[in-house]
Amino acid sequence: MSDKKQVLPGRWDRRKRDIGITVWVAFLAACIGTFVIFAVMDPEALNDAWVLPWEMGSRLAYSLGFLFLFIVSVIASGLTAFMIRTGPKSGHARGKGRRRPPEIRSPEENNPDLDLGDWK
Amino acid sequence: MSKQATSGTAGAGESLYRKEPKIYPRQVSGRFARLRVVAVWALLGLFYLLPWLNINGKQSVLFDLPARKFYIFGMTFWPQDFVYLALLMISAGLSLFFFTALAGRLWCGFACPQTVWTEVFVWIERWIEGDRQKQIKLDKSPWNADKILRKSAKQALWILFAAWTGFTFVGFFSPIRELGPAVLNLSLGPWETFWTIFYSFATYGNAGFLREQVCKYMCPYARFQSAMFDKDTLIISYDEERGEPRGGRRKDDNAREKGLGDCINCTLCVQVCPTGIDIRDGLQYECIACAACIDVCDQVMDKMSYPRGLIKYTTEHALKHNQGHVIRPRIMVYGALLLVIISGTLWGMTHRVPLRADLIRDRNALYRELPGDLVENVYTLKITNMDDQAHQYDISVLNNDAVEIDMSKPLSLQAEEVQGVSVRLRIPRSEGQGVQALELLIQAQDDPSISTKIKAKALMPLKFGSQP
Repeated sequence: MSDKKQVLPGRWDRRKRDIGITVWVAFLAACIGTFVIFAVMDPEALNDAWVLPWEMGSRLAYSLGFLFLFIVSVIASGLTAFMIRTGPKSGHARGKGRRRPPEIRSPEENNPDLDLGDWK
Repeated sequence: MSKQATSGTAGAGESLYRKEPKIYPRQVSGRFARLRVVAVWALLGLFYLLPWLNINGKQSVLFDLPARKFYIFGMTFWPQDFVYLALLMISAGLSLFFFTALAGRLWCGFACPQTVWTEVFVWIERWIEGDRQKQIKLDKSPWNADKILRKSAKQALWILFAAWTGFTFVGFFSPIRELGPAVLNLSLGPWETFWTIFYSFATYGNAGFLREQVCKYMCPYARFQSAMFDKDTLIISYDEERGEPRGGRRKDDNAREKGLGDCINCTLCVQVCPTGIDIRDGLQYECIACAACIDVCDQVMDKMSYPRGLIKYTTEHALKHNQGHVIRPRIMVYGALLLVIISGTLWGMTHRVPLRADLIRDRNALYRELPGDLVENVYTLKITNMDDQAHQYDISVLNNDAVEIDMSKPLSLQAEEVQGVSVRLRIPRSEGQGVQALELLIQAQDDPSISTKIKAKALMPLKFGSQP
């Protein structure tokens, strides 16, 4: 096993940390969301508005509400983590670690037969 | 601090890099530019006109959220039609896979609202401020009457266009023919006001200011694209083998004798790029596949009497002279799935029965025993007439002729009406004991094709001691 793959005991690699944070933050957000939603809404009332053929009890309403919020939160926080990880690195705006912006010159500069009037 | 690049041999560190300049995309004409103009007119035309069109006296596209009904081209969708929304989303996802695998980011270059609205904002900008050179000159010039006039006129037109966009957007959710007078009378409701301002602001910010930054930094699609590409995907590429070494020349020069390839290094491909990249550096995630570089390079090639296609839509395999096929199993599988789902959805939508019924058992009593050896089960029938005309319905039990049906009122529903009707099923005790599975048929009197079957469970008393 190469040195690179060796991990100190008790320490998580970056991917594990990303997944852990994503799931935990999503869980907290879903908990708060569930508390707030069902504090102002009676799950029994959902039965009247429910369109699927089987009846939904209040426990199922609580569980489905939480599950829905959790899935949405996992998608949002997972996508955020992905976007940040795959995005430009720190210092990008100051020009670090990236290609030089492409050089632009007047098309006619080295090509006297090109007429700039053709391109506005 | 401005960091100007001194030259390619500058010292190490940040000083090597110059400040990212503001992008003034040069105007381009050609095949793909024309295609984008067509896409802009078609898509924005649909967006701005559809809410004003009426079909059968109803707005052609209206998402009536408070009534929980969607009106789309004369069809009414109810919450129960959720499955079509799910199918629509699956089709949209599959289309993205199909088109990306086929020809890269077609969506970004021609159909994405960010591209389409930015294009219109750029047209307005060019109309007021002039072409690229004039815009650069105007930005550098000191504030004078002309600059103030041009800049304010541009802002005014942008704001007007954004406000019209916000108004139209809200018009998809609230009848637009009532919304117009409400705006003029300043009697717009709070939610309509909020969403009109919000959507106008989003359009103005995204298309006027953020522009390519949305595609470069904020859009997840660019980051996923590599997962959907393979070596047979059509991508916009620079033919390095043919173009290099690049260099300026006169038209009559013999490039081969001078040791040059076909790229004359005019940098026009960079100047037309809305994200400011150099396609000659290879495929980059910033490329939104607008094909402006293809158009301009083809014009340059024509000018120099070189064959077109130094920058073109091609595949990685083709560039490496390998055998490859654009039509490949992956495309065929995506295409077939897409075809099946879209045709299935269309068939389902056109063959929908505009009637829905649910039978819910009365929770208070299992059954009631009536004189004359009858057992009564009570239900609530929730019936929805999803059609746009009134109907009267008959109800019957299919699998047991002895069952009597007693309803609180006749099943007569107006167009798009929902009713809850109390239904009592009276079954002779001799018909059995325990749970009886019944099948009920509800049918419109004027159109037998409008019918639905529902299942009902009737409970009967158990005769203890009568069994051996």
